[in-house]
Formats: sequence, structure tokens, C-alpha cells
Amino acid sequence: MNTTIVALSTARGRSAIAVVRMSGDDAINIAKKFFEPFPKNPNMLKVGVLHTERFDEHAMCVYFSAPHSYTGENTVEFHCHGGTAVCQAVIEQCIKNGAVPAQNGEFSKRAFINGKQNLTNAEGIIEMIDAETASAAKAGANLLENKLGKKVIDLQNVLLDTLSACEAALDYPEEDLELPTVAGTQIKLKEVEKEIQNLISTATLGKVAKYGINVAIVGAPNVGKSSLLNALLGTERAIVSDIQGTTRDTLSESVNYKDIKFNFIDTAGIRESSDVVEQEGVRRAQKAADSADVVLHITDNPTDRSVYPTVRPQIRVFNKSDLFVEPPCCADSLIVSAKSGNVDIIKSTIYEMFSAGEIENSDLLITNERHLSCLNQAKNQIEQAIASCSNSTLDIVSSAIKQVWETLGEITGSTAQEDIIDRIYSKFCLGK
Amino acid sequence: MKDFDVIVIGAGHAGCEAALASARLGCSTLLLATNLDTVAFLACNPSIGGTAKGQIVKEIDALGGEMAINADKSILQMRMLNRGKGPAVYSPRAQVDKNVYHSVMKQTIENTPNLYLRQGEAVNIDIKQNGEFSVTTAVNLQYSAKAVVLCCGVYLRSKTIVGKCIRESGPNGFANAQYLSDSLQKLGFTLRRFKTGTPARVRMKSIDLQKTSEQCGEADVRPFSYVTKSIPATKRSCYLTYSTEKTKEIILQNKHLAPIYNGSINGTGPRYCPSIEDKVVRFADKERHQIFLEPESEDTCEFYVQGASSSMPAEVQEQIYHSIEGLENVEIMRDAYAIEYDCIDATELDATLMSKKIKGMFFAGQINGTSGYEEAAGQGIVAGINAERFVHKKSPFTLRRDNSYIGVLIDDITTKETVEPYRMMTSRAEYRLVLRQDNADMRLTELGREIGLVDDTRYEKFLYKKQQIETATKELFTVVSPKIYSPLFDRKNEVVNNAGLTLDEMLRRPNITAKDIQTLGYLKNVTDEVLEEIEIESKYRGYIEKEKAVIAQAAKLENKALPAKIDYMSIDGLRIEARQKLNKIRPANLGQAGRISGVSPADIQILIVYLAQRGSK
Repeated sequence: MNTTIVALSTARGRSAIAVVRMSGDDAINIAKKFFEPFPKNPNMLKVGVLHTERFDEHAMCVYFSAPHSYTGENTVEFHCHGGTAVCQAVIEQCIKNGAVPAQNGEFSKRAFINGKQNLTNAEGIIEMIDAETASAAKAGANLLENKLGKKVIDLQNVLLDTLSACEAALDYPEEDLELPTVAGTQIKLKEVEKEIQNLISTATLGKVAKYGINVAIVGAPNVGKSSLLNALLGTERAIVSDIQGTTRDTLSESVNYKDIKFNFIDTAGIRESSDVVEQEGVRRAQKAADSADVVLHITDNPTDRSVYPTVRPQIRVFNKSDLFVEPPCCADSLIVSAKSGNVDIIKSTIYEMFSAGEIENSDLLITNERHLSCLNQAKNQIEQAIASCSNSTLDIVSSAIKQVWETLGEITGSTAQEDIIDRIYSKFCLGK
Repeated sequence: MKDFDVIVIGAGHAGCEAALASARLGCSTLLLATNLDTVAFLACNPSIGGTAKGQIVKEIDALGGEMAINADKSILQMRMLNRGKGPAVYSPRAQVDKNVYHSVMKQTIENTPNLYLRQGEAVNIDIKQNGEFSVTTAVNLQYSAKAVVLCCGVYLRSKTIVGKCIRESGPNGFANAQYLSDSLQKLGFTLRRFKTGTPARVRMKSIDLQKTSEQCGEADVRPFSYVTKSIPATKRSCYLTYSTEKTKEIILQNKHLAPIYNGSINGTGPRYCPSIEDKVVRFADKERHQIFLEPESEDTCEFYVQGASSSMPAEVQEQIYHSIEGLENVEIMRDAYAIEYDCIDATELDATLMSKKIKGMFFAGQINGTSGYEEAAGQGIVAGINAERFVHKKSPFTLRRDNSYIGVLIDDITTKETVEPYRMMTSRAEYRLVLRQDNADMRLTELGREIGLVDDTRYEKFLYKKQQIETATKELFTVVSPKIYSPLFDRKNEVVNNAGLTLDEMLRRPNITAKDIQTLGYLKNVTDEVLEEIEIESKYRGYIEKEKAVIAQAAKLENKALPAKIDYMSIDGLRIEARQKLNKIRPANLGQAGRISGVSPADIQILIVYLAQRGSK
């Protein structure tokens, strides 16, 4: 069975509609796990609900059965709403269910190797590859990734030592080599495992560095959400009035704070309403909250202890503090006045919450989905390798270590078989 | 002038397989050797097989070659290396009688119809107007053929080196081939200079065996050949001993006299076959080095001193050998020496081992920059088969990385530019769990049969085993009740749960063997060989299936042919290094292209695009 790959097929960034595409033997099975009702027949676009861990997305889905697809493999396309957060959540959902992020040009590559070359948009691939090389040339932009490369090469080196010891023992059974011990091998592998885990845990911060923090502003009508947005942006971006329900649709705008991009999303006030347009606004507000990194739950009532219904982390913000007679009820909340304009405490709190200050001090951060996926895969494989040390023969142990080494090599691009052999001969005295 | 279909030049391990394959497939074949005493001569150790090499011997056998049968007929003792390290790396290795090995092979060749063995040094190869070849020997006889297979081993312009004594000579004092190198250069081949070496031969009676430990063969190792019925128990022992601190001192004191360190050897030597001086200098903190004493033959008391090859002056060699435990008074009978020789760049060959430039001209063995008898023989059989197919205008025969070590070997040497003699290692095979010594027949006999080298006896034996495996594999799904299996499990320290288990589930328990299951009354009449095979397949199924999935994935790239006439220099987007390498090596498909050093995954993407554009025009 081949791997199933997933990627955004339409352009990145803001757009009305986006298409996420999955291709591979398992694509249809994966899609069935979270899209319902799944289309009964191929080539038919079906409206339905796409469940993600954070929110449900109304979307359309179509599948193509192998070999009648662009890639010649089973293919599924989700046509969903545009926007980075939504698309990312959909892609993440596919990955959680067994897909892996596609490499540049991989759909076309598969189309080619499956004999669908007449459809290949060849120029597109070259452009993509060029784009990657061009950005790699900008050392500044890719500094973080270069550092990652060095780190991964270090880890590969440790693995190569372990691997060459195993391989030398397998290829030279009659030399008086010290056989690699179970405990010794496991210690080394566990060191690498720990480092891989450390790298994986930088991904959250990496995402903050690369994409910024998505902050949804939610709350009842007329608590001053739009005023707060304007205060946070320092411009009169949103229309503000005393009329309840002035904000009908979500509105997002970004601002930089200490070099971190904050994407604020203002939403319609949440209340029961019979107005169809307002209902839709409320629905969108809910979705904005569920797809945000953090939710600002705004209230102007100093005794309000309510919690906003979302799985995302939230901060309660008491607005209009200039009108408060007594201090508000809850100590763990923020107290601001949009009117007076002093709202920096919101930014600094979120900044602290995401440890964004550490970005500057971080040696390296994982900012690339493909890298993260490789690391996660390497983590699984190294766990298996560690287990194999105590319950398998050396041929299996060695293969298991080699897999980890190769997976890491997908990040650095170096997995030449000769590296192993070179290491064997440089470390061990062998031969007749 | 005499006409043949195929001329094989050189009767070493590659040449013998090539000539036998070609003749057996119906080509009138001339086998030329500088000296008929060199036929299948074991110039270095008197041993066949070992890690990865044992697998190759079995593959040659499955295809219908001779090496395994010949080794079985000359066995002095046999061992299975790597027991306990997993079935992927079990490797049979035999000590063989070098005199018997030579004479049995020579007889087989003499008794083969269509095959003419002739002493003669080939000095020139001409290509005639009709594309056929004319080979001239030193005594000015001419032979012509539609295809030639060059298996010149280490004889091309070879020099042997013992200290300052440098001789124009082949191995063991045999005459070298002085002129053929020039002829090859005229035909446009690039020649390289490689080096290897061999230790001294010593008189067994002068060894103090008390100071060594005896190594016997093992009784329960199967013969190399699937058609050999049985092999004798240990006829001769080996002995293990060690170098000493004094060995180190002597070498370091005399380092300036070592040709490899004073510049009189230029050839590139293999890292895996270092001389004793090389080992001591490169691994200075290692206290002692292992030395194996191996019998050369039942006819002689000469012993091969494995681990102590050297090109030091003869008197220093004597001191070195005398410093080895048990060899204090040893009498050296033949000196150790290094040998330097010409070889070609095998990236100029395709996967059938035919020159990409000169159709009908094949190369096999050490002339291709490999080392080892088994590596040579593996190439020999492939070259011989293809020479016949070329003559009879049949489609080419190639082996793949996923079906044989020979496939890995040929792909490696024709793809990667090797900078030292190439030795096969299990580390080089990415599909090691599938390429095992026990299943070489299952992998290749069917192919050998199609080619025409597998006779009825071998084929029937193969079909019987295959049938047994299929029946036994079906039986593995029989469910056994705990009542029946629990006594066995208790004895073997396996946990019994109160459920029925299939034979397969039982086999996957680490302490349960197929033999154990047979004692419960299942798998009756199944041969030991088949029991071993199904046991491996059950215990390692998960890993084997993973490997097969990778193979299937890789096959897609392997199946994408790259047209022979692409001008890589003109492909936009390819990096310069990749363009140069691709233009030089001209890979047959995308899989091979990806294995060329200096060709990156991004370059492969560009090639994919290029092919796609080409296809759509």
C-alpha cells in the first residue's frame, strides 16, 4: 500500500473557497472517517459536514477512484471555506487519520509515475521547486530551517554510530568486535528520541513565529468588541455604534506586537435572534472562536463569571472599566477600557501565554508542516527501534534504526547507503 | 580463423560461469585462459561464501550456475555465520580444497558440449565491419565471435609487490596479461588502477597448535547447492590465533619500508581487506588482531594466514609472522604480496554488463572493479546469459535489487562510481529480509528455468519444495486447542491463554519453533528445509510485509525508463553536477538515476517533469 498524501491545492492565504486534496490508496477510507454523508458515487460533489477536532465545517466533498483521477490513485477533494486556519484544521484532520503532508510537486509526480503524464502541469512543478530554492537562498528567512538541518544531521550522526556498530557485527561475524549491547544501544536511541521530542515540542512556538496568533474576540452584543478591536489595532477599522448587532460578519485584521503577528478576529455579538443574517453572523462567530488559538471573551458586566462555550483556551476580558464602581469579580481576568485606549495588557498577556518571548532565544523552531510530520514519524519509528532492541534479533534492530535515520534524512536530504559503509570502516578494524 | 558465437577471455570465477552459461544455452563458446592451471583458481583464501557472499553463491545455484555445486564437491568444512542475529543475515561459509575446486571445475568445463577451453593470452580485440569481434592471441592465432565476455580478473598489466621487489606478474607467479589493456584503451575504455593483497602461506607442521584454538565445521549446515544431497562433516580444521604487541612494534619500526606508506603502490586498495601493516597503523589502539589459519587443501600442509596480508619486504614479513601467537617458529612457504592491476569503470556498462558503447562486448568480475570470487561468479553468470541472448537476439536478462544480491551488486557498480574494489555486504541490500540465503531458490529458480539453465532435476526439486511450502502455509491456519499446546508452551516458558491458537500464532511466539509444532502432530511430512522457511516467514511476517510495501513503492520509479538519448546538459532546472553525472552514467530508469551520488530528489522531480513534457509533445 502506498502512503496517502494531503495538501492544499488552491493558493495559500485568504480566499473565498479552498480545495484540500488527498491522494493514495487510503484516501477514501480516511475521508469517510470525518466527512458525512460521504458521497455514494465517485465524481459527484456532495454537500456535508467535515468534522475536525475544533469545529464542524460545512463543505463539499468529491472522490475519484483509481485509476480515474488526476494522480491515478484514489483521490478525495474537500471544497471548504478559504482562510489559513480552516484549511490547516482540515489538513491536520487528514494527517491525524493517516495521511502525510505532500512534498512539493508530489501529486504531479504520482500522476506521472501512474502513467497520467498527459495531465501533468509540468511547469507548475518547476515553479514550485524554484520557489523553494529561491527562498532557501534567502538565508535570513530560512535561518531557522538551516539550524534545524544541522541539528538533525547531529541526530543522524548518533544514529549512524549505532547503526554502523550493528551493521559491522552483522557483516563481520568472525571479527572480534564488541557486539552492541541492548542497554548501550537503547541509551543512545533514547537520547535521540528525547531530542526529537524536544524538536517536536518547538512546533507550537514555530507556528506562532511563522503564522502569528489567531485571537477571536467574542461576547454578547454591545460589550465593546469592535471598539476593542480598534483599540488593539490603533485604527478605526471596525464600525462602532451603540446599536446592538452592528457587527454582522467576522472581520479580521493583523497587528504586530514585539515582532509577533496578532490576527484579531472581531465577531458578531452572540444572542438569540430571528434575523437570518444575524443568525449566520452568530454561527460564524462560533466558528471563529473554535478555530482560534485563543479566545477573548468580552463582557462589560463586573459580576459576569460565565465561561464561553469553546474548547479553545480563553481569557475573560472586562471592558468599559471606566464605568465600573467596584472592581470586577474574577481575579484571573483582564480589566481594560477600550475607550481609554489602554489595551496593551491584552497583547502582553497573550504574548506571555504563548511564551512568544522565547522565540528570540530559541535556537531553532519547527515551522514547516513537512518537517513536523517527518519528526513525528521518526519519533514513532525510534520508539519501535527501542522496543526491538529487547525483543528482536539484530537484523531487525538494525533495520529499525535505519528507518529512523532515513526518515530524518528526508529533512536533511542525506541518506546515502555509502554513509553507513564509510562509517563502518572508519570505526572498526575489519577484513582478512 | 575460427568462428564462435561467444568468446570468454579469462577462466577465473567469472569466466567459468560465463562460459558455462553461454555454452549450456547453446552458443559455441571459446574459453581462453593465459594458463589452464588458473581455471577457477582460488588465488586468495581457500574459502567460499560468508556474509552476503553465501547468499550470492545460492543465487548463482538457483539460476543454474556452477559455483555452489563446485564448492560442495570440494568442501573441507562448513559453517553458518550469524546464527542468533536473525535470518536476514544467516550466511553459509565453507573452507574448500583449492586443488579440488580447480580440478573439478576444469573437468566440468571439459565435459560441457559447445565449450572449448584453450590456453592463450588474448592480446587484441578488433571489431570487424559486420560488428563481430576478432580476438588475437599472443601466438598470433585469431578467433572470431558475435559476442565477447571479458573476465580478466586481476591479470591486466598486473604487478605484484613484496617490499622493493616489484614484478610484472599475475597472482601466485602466473603470467599476467601485458597487452589487452592497450587494446581496451583503443576501444575507448577508461582504465583505473586498483590494488589488493594476500597473506603468506605457511607450513602447518611448523605451527604450535597448542597456542591456537581449533575451529571445526558445523554438522547441520545445508550444502550451498539446492541439488547437492549431502556434504561431508569437517575434513580439516581451522585455527584461531592473535597478533601481539610485538607485531605492532615490528610494523611501526619498519613502516618506512611498507610500499603502501612509502609511495611505491599507487593503486586504490579496499578498506575491507587491509594489510596487517594498514590495520596496525590505522587502528593503533587495538591491542591485537585476529588471525585465522585456514587449510589450503587435503593434498598439502600449506595454510593460509587470514588477517595478515602484507606487502612488506620478505624478511620483515618473516619477523611479523613470527610475532604471532603460535607462529613463533613458522616456516613461510609463499610470501605475502600486494597486487596492482587495471580495471574498467563499470558505470560504462548497462545492467546486462554489456558496454553501452560497444554492443556485444561484456565485462564480468574483478575487471569491473569488484573483489571476491562470489561477486565475480555472480557477474559471470549474468554476462554469460546475456552474451547468449545477444547472439540469439533475445531480450536482455537483468536482475533487480529486490530479487537478488547479484541485482544489488550489478546496480551498484554500474550506477555508483566505486573508488575502491567493491565487496558485497549485507548492509548494501535495502531489502535484506527478503533476500535470504534460504529462499534464493524461491526467488530465482523460475527465472533460471525461463532462461534455460535450470534442468528438469533441479526444477522438479524446486516445484516439490514450493508445493510443500504452499501446503504447509495453508496448514498454519489450523486452530489448536490449549489442551494440545499447553504442555509444549509450559515447557518453553510461553504464556498459555485459554484460547485456541493457529499454528501461525504459535510460531510467532519467540520460543516456539516449527519443529516443536511438528511434535504436536502437525506439519507432518514437511522437510526440515521447508519448516525453516515457514518459520522465518511467520516470525518475521510483519517486517517482511513492510519491506515488500517499500519494494512496491520503489518499483514505480524503477519502471519509468529513461530514454537512452536524453541530453541531460540541456535540461533546465537540473543542477550542473546532476547534469554531468547523468550524462556520464546514463541511467536506465528513474530509480537508478536516484541512486547516483550527486543526483538529488529535486533533480529527480525535474526529470519527471521533463519526461512528462516530452511525453505530451
